[in-house]
Amino acid sequence: MSQSTVSVKTYAFTLIGLLALTLLTSLLALVDLGNFSFIAGVAIAAVKASLIACFFMHALYEMKLIRVIMAGGMIWFLIMISLTLGDYLTRGWMPYPGK
Amino acid sequence: MADPIALALREQFHSAEQQRETSTVGMWIFLITEVMLFGGLFTAFSVYRMSHPAAFDQGSADMEFWMGAVNTAVLICSSFCMAMAVHSAEKGKNGRLAFFLILTILIGLVFLGIKFTEYYLHYHDQKLPGIVFHDTSPDAAYVQMFFVFYFLMTGLHAFHMIIGEGILGAMLFRTLLGSFSERYHTPVELAGLYWHFVDTVWVFLFAIFYIPGAHMK
Amino acid sequence: MATVTLFEPQSAPAQPRLNYLTEKTGLMSWLFTTDHKRIGLLYVFSITFFFFFGGFFALLMRLHLLLPQGWLFGHETYNKLFTMHGIIMVWFFLIPSIPNTLGNFVLPMMIGAKDLAFPKLNLLSWYIFMLGGMTTLYALVRGGVDTGWTFYTPFSTSYSTSFVITAAVGILIAGFSSILTGLNFIATVHRMRAPGLTWFRLPIFIWSTYATSLILVLATPVLAITLAMIGIERIFQVGIFDPALGGDPVLFQHMFWFYSHPAVYIMVLPAMAVVSEIIPTFSRKPIFGYKAVAFSSMAIAILGFLVWGHHMFVAGESAYAAMTFSFLSYMVAIPSAIKVFNWTATMYRGSVQLDTPMLYAIGFVALFTIGGMTGLFLAALGIDVHVTDTYFVIAHFHYIMVGGTVMAFLGGVHYWWPKISGKMYPEFLAKLSALTVFLGFNLTFFPQFILGYMGMPRRYAAYPPEFQVLNVLSTAGASILGVGYVVPLIYLMWAWKYGESAPDNPWRTTGLEWKTPSPPPKHNFEETPVVTWKAYDFEAQKEELHLG
Repeated sequence: MSQSTVSVKTYAFTLIGLLALTLLTSLLALVDLGNFSFIAGVAIAAVKASLIACFFMHALYEMKLIRVIMAGGMIWFLIMISLTLGDYLTRGWMPYPGK
Repeated sequence: MADPIALALREQFHSAEQQRETSTVGMWIFLITEVMLFGGLFTAFSVYRMSHPAAFDQGSADMEFWMGAVNTAVLICSSFCMAMAVHSAEKGKNGRLAFFLILTILIGLVFLGIKFTEYYLHYHDQKLPGIVFHDTSPDAAYVQMFFVFYFLMTGLHAFHMIIGEGILGAMLFRTLLGSFSERYHTPVELAGLYWHFVDTVWVFLFAIFYIPGAHMK
Repeated sequence: MATVTLFEPQSAPAQPRLNYLTEKTGLMSWLFTTDHKRIGLLYVFSITFFFFFGGFFALLMRLHLLLPQGWLFGHETYNKLFTMHGIIMVWFFLIPSIPNTLGNFVLPMMIGAKDLAFPKLNLLSWYIFMLGGMTTLYALVRGGVDTGWTFYTPFSTSYSTSFVITAAVGILIAGFSSILTGLNFIATVHRMRAPGLTWFRLPIFIWSTYATSLILVLATPVLAITLAMIGIERIFQVGIFDPALGGDPVLFQHMFWFYSHPAVYIMVLPAMAVVSEIIPTFSRKPIFGYKAVAFSSMAIAILGFLVWGHHMFVAGESAYAAMTFSFLSYMVAIPSAIKVFNWTATMYRGSVQLDTPMLYAIGFVALFTIGGMTGLFLAALGIDVHVTDTYFVIAHFHYIMVGGTVMAFLGGVHYWWPKISGKMYPEFLAKLSALTVFLGFNLTFFPQFILGYMGMPRRYAAYPPEFQVLNVLSTAGASILGVGYVVPLIYLMWAWKYGESAPDNPWRTTGLEWKTPSPPPKHNFEETPVVTWKAYDFEAQKEELHLG
């Protein structure tokens, strides 16, 4: 049984990590990085989200099935967004209007 | 007195462990349906952001950046309190569980308070699409679209927060009734999962709405 | 040896044993039941109602199309007829058809469980479904919807004056019912299996229903949010999809088909599940290539998510995206064909008995093959440009949905009827109506392939006179098909009351659901079975099943 209690210390470190990343992302936001600021923002958000999932949500400590479900959700979201964006990104590739 | 565990064990299960694991699996599956629900909005947002980056950055510059940043920190703190609540439940310390649940609920209310203040400020600035929207830039249609997505996604998130507050309230009530113990506290764990998930969504909302235009102020 | 203990010889017990039907009685005992078997029956009643309702609209449309200029309705009414036919049939019959009725009824029994993992959620799911259905019917009573079941923008968001939002809300609500059912099934299959019942001992029914449930939970939320966005755009007139307001209608199509293409597999995978039970039973052979069939269900579920763009070949999608989606659509044919080959191979050299369920199953294989092959035509870019939005498409997906899903649903209902009701149905009448359905179906839809190829567009209330002969044939077929559907309704109800008592295992087959009395007791099994055999292992249970 995956009833292994996560220690308070782990939670505290997670909290500090999350707050530090929030500070980092806020400071980065004040600099003009062009399009990169969007990408950097989402990347840092992804790191924060994994910290929450792994420690606060116990994904690291639960049965394997939970991690499979989690990965499945992520993969399906990526399928949706990447195939949709794929259409929009390749629209201008052919020298005909609209294709 | 009947064993409280036996009472909490539903007839279709063989053991408390099977019941706990099944409930956890069920909750995680529910959470991925939530991923796909928000995912649809993220997809649509990405498509339009890719097509009109300048207008979307301009919309982003109209965000109350520091309120968003503080709110992110606020929500992370509430998640921490929720994690501590679950921790207390696992140890069977009901007093501490109640304390952390109250703290989580209160911090959640602070988040909602800040959020609705922001909404009011946008309304004041005439940035509420469909009700009152005023923008003079040549890209006004796409700036408005940015705000449509902003209100849709943060609104859906706030709706989830409100539901979460209700769930946590119910958990607090059950804690005070003495329904939970070291051996049976699955509902608290599941409520925690939901709460952390809603937190995670906000982390991404902060990144896509507040950050890209923050330097333009 | 010890595995046989649950099986009772087919002698009538001295006093009538209490079963799930007689254990409690009265309306309240049904409305507040958490028994998966009773909830399955609640779904049977609800979707039967919706099926005949939606079918009635289809019949009206076919009657209207007897004459080239149409003769019964105005064009706007016709638009509403095909829209309501589509909405009701897709969301209130086909999607819940097999999983929520037969799946609910037999899935826990097949895995040796007392119930689903979350029985209250299961009941809630039925109430949500009914609420969604009532909302949609309310939209109909108020004046209907004319957008087509696909709700394409910007017509649905800016121009249509019909009750789009009410219908969309109804569908959205029904969607939550699908999600809860899918969630329940997944958790059940993972955590509630009987001791010894490993994944590769599961009947194929479970594999396919599991794959269906994955689609339900992964795709339905996207539909919910897409419909919500339509509602927002319609109410506030802000740009999301409307090009006049800066939106992109093709994005709506992307999001809609991200749900609605996998939804086709929500409809057909459970049909494959039923057929995979019926064919081994009436061939007296284990299914050929068990693992291939099991994995092909999963492959269909996964690949089904990668092909939605083939609905948009002429919608302005990029040529590169179109090529990718075309290629991926061809890929789905592989697991589908594996299934067809394996069903055929299962029958090969088996001792095939042509009982009613088997007739439906064979009908399914034939019609699904035609539907699937014409799907390949549509996945090919060049041909698709020619036949997009013609009756060819209509014929294609009706071969899958009616020829496939409805045939399998009827087959499954006959197959499990003795277990559900504890009564046998009249075999001769049943065989006759199975044949009627098969003939009526082909007469209705085969002419539509030709019509579509000749260029008759879908959703038109009138057509050029040279198409009349084929249209009349199609209408004649629809009438026969209607009879084929009403007759089973009547004799099954008759059998419920007056039919001969059914033995516990009338087909002498191997599944766990047959090792409990007909009808089963409330908790399905007197004691939890321990499974030590593979699925469809007729050889091992030869003695027990009295197989010569």
